Amino acid sequence: MSFAERVDAALHDPLLKTAIDRATGTAQAKRAAAIAAFPSFEPARRRAAAIKDHVIANLGAYLAAFEANAQAAGAAVHWARTADEACAIVIDICKKADAKRVARSKSMLGEEIGLPHALEAADITRVETDLAEHIIQLAHERPSHIIWPALHKTREQVADLFRASHRSPQNEDTIPAMAASARRQLREDMLSADVGISGANFLIADTGAVCTVTNEGNAELSLVPPRVHIVTAGIEKVVPSMRHATHLLRLLARSATGAALTQYTTFYAGPRRPGDREGPEEMHIVLVDNGRTRMRDEGLAEMLRCIRCGACMNHCVVFRQIGGHAYGGTYPGPMGAVLTPALDGLAGAKDLPNACTLNGKCREVCPVDIPLPTLLRGWREKSWREGLEPVTMRRGLGLWAWAAKRPALYRLGTRVAIAALRRFGRRGWIARLPLASGWTDGRDFPRPEAGSFMARYRKGER
Amino acid sequence: MSARDAILGKLGPARPIADLTAQADALIGHAERPLLDGDTIDLFLAQLDQPSIAATHDAVDTLGDLPAAVTRYLDANVGARALYLPPDPQLLDLDWQSVTTLHSCPVDDGAVLAIARAGVAETGSLIFETAPVAPMLPNFLALHHLVVLHRAHVVRWLEDALLPAGPQPRAHYWVTGVSGTTDIEGQYVRGAHGPRFLHVILVG
Repeated sequence: MSFAERVDAALHDPLLKTAIDRATGTAQAKRAAAIAAFPSFEPARRRAAAIKDHVIANLGAYLAAFEANAQAAGAAVHWARTADEACAIVIDICKKADAKRVARSKSMLGEEIGLPHALEAADITRVETDLAEHIIQLAHERPSHIIWPALHKTREQVADLFRASHRSPQNEDTIPAMAASARRQLREDMLSADVGISGANFLIADTGAVCTVTNEGNAELSLVPPRVHIVTAGIEKVVPSMRHATHLLRLLARSATGAALTQYTTFYAGPRRPGDREGPEEMHIVLVDNGRTRMRDEGLAEMLRCIRCGACMNHCVVFRQIGGHAYGGTYPGPMGAVLTPALDGLAGAKDLPNACTLNGKCREVCPVDIPLPTLLRGWREKSWREGLEPVTMRRGLGLWAWAAKRPALYRLGTRVAIAALRRFGRRGWIARLPLASGWTDGRDFPRPEAGSFMARYRKGER
Repeated sequence: MSARDAILGKLGPARPIADLTAQADALIGHAERPLLDGDTIDLFLAQLDQPSIAATHDAVDTLGDLPAAVTRYLDANVGARALYLPPDPQLLDLDWQSVTTLHSCPVDDGAVLAIARAGVAETGSLIFETAPVAPMLPNFLALHHLVVLHRAHVVRWLEDALLPAGPQPRAHYWVTGVSGTTDIEGQYVRGAHGPRFLHVILVG
């Protein structure tokens, strides 16, 4: 399906808009309240951006320091250039551990590298332990949001999924009863897993520790009981020290859910120690490039600041209409529209940077001040330069440019166009417009004022 | 070429980490923090009362008074006078006559007791570290998480509770409220996978 077809399907889904409005509306209100209680949030996010920029500029040094300290704590560190290399390393560790079942704690990097599919292909049973990931695993779907992956599902749909697959499903279809059913089901699965797999919210360079954050506690229950803990992390996740991580954690939860911190913030440094009664015997950390070094060199270094909070999508007028699946990549919303062309290629994803109003809201709420509109414009220019835009678009713009360089002709053209458009309008709006049904099928088009801006300016209307 | 060399090669020659430390320190000096006004202990207890944290609390003068406070909580909230105790002599040496102490953790109900290294007024967080006498799994398995915290260990800011660089515990974790989820239609549910109840007993 093309982007346009996916958008069409999303806009015609009768439940999706309600689901998105509920979740993003709540997220916006909670974030606003959290920022109100943190008046220096603006300088704080500029500091966060400066910290990330410093790390990205010195990424090699910080990765080497992290590696040395993680090894000193007893973890094995692996490096992967690509998604395939990363998956192969994980599968290899699982096979050596003779793993039949892995418990996974939600990680967007895992989705990015296709780890769920790789585990399935290797015949290893995968248990998603985050409640939302569990729901979409049962539905055989992909996440539609990076914080609430099952945002598109209604309670009725979840109730049906649980009744069909849980060993002892809920008796009544209330949300607390469904959460309790998932708790019963997943608890057994987590405690019997051979391997626990997580991502990392931060890699602490000067201690070698890996930080995960969750509200459910599923990460800890997935990562402590199994014999092996595997972390897959993007190389941009490293921070110099715990103090830097603390600053970013303060911004992360506030931007994501409006909380001061997530319920559980855990730092793992190596496997089981002598005398410990619990904990994995092995800890493996896979550091994944998958295009990040190229992004750094090719004008997208600022995107590597991203801490995956989801604020940009919660505040995006386009995401709030079409939801996450329409974007077609691992990451939706504004950050996804920047990342997907870099990860999957511009030719297949060139529509994403165009599906943006450039209203700037995403940058305004970004906790690390990523200039998302500027980066999206950069993709538009690249798409034009590389000749990826369709012929009709190129010819149309060529014609416009030709006319725009001839002021008399251009003014005549706008006069004619305005007069023609006004004939279709009633009370300030145009309900149906030939050649523009793509617009007017969904909403009215504003009827232009009489006379162009230039004409009215000349008449002294200022 | 190994993947490691290829990635580090693309990132260019690395400056020695010692050269970067001053720069990194300057970037984090006097970092912005949320508003916080009042006495540290009062603020901490007020945070525990927040709906997002939803913890209850009690206070005792000495560790010797702990079993009585625990019994009070179990009677009022659990029913059964039983709980898991980690193998920490500080706790094992107390007089637990009124309570059945378990040496393995109940898998999906019951109560556990643990000692927090610190409490943080800024966020209402409790900070724990793993050790042979302090396993972490019980604190996620039980339905009721009871936490012992010395009054003197309540600090104002998260930074005040950070461990210095250098050798770390196998895991340390900040617990800020009870386990929760908003994954179905955004509705908040307590006790997703971890404890549904958090009870802090201040000592001293």
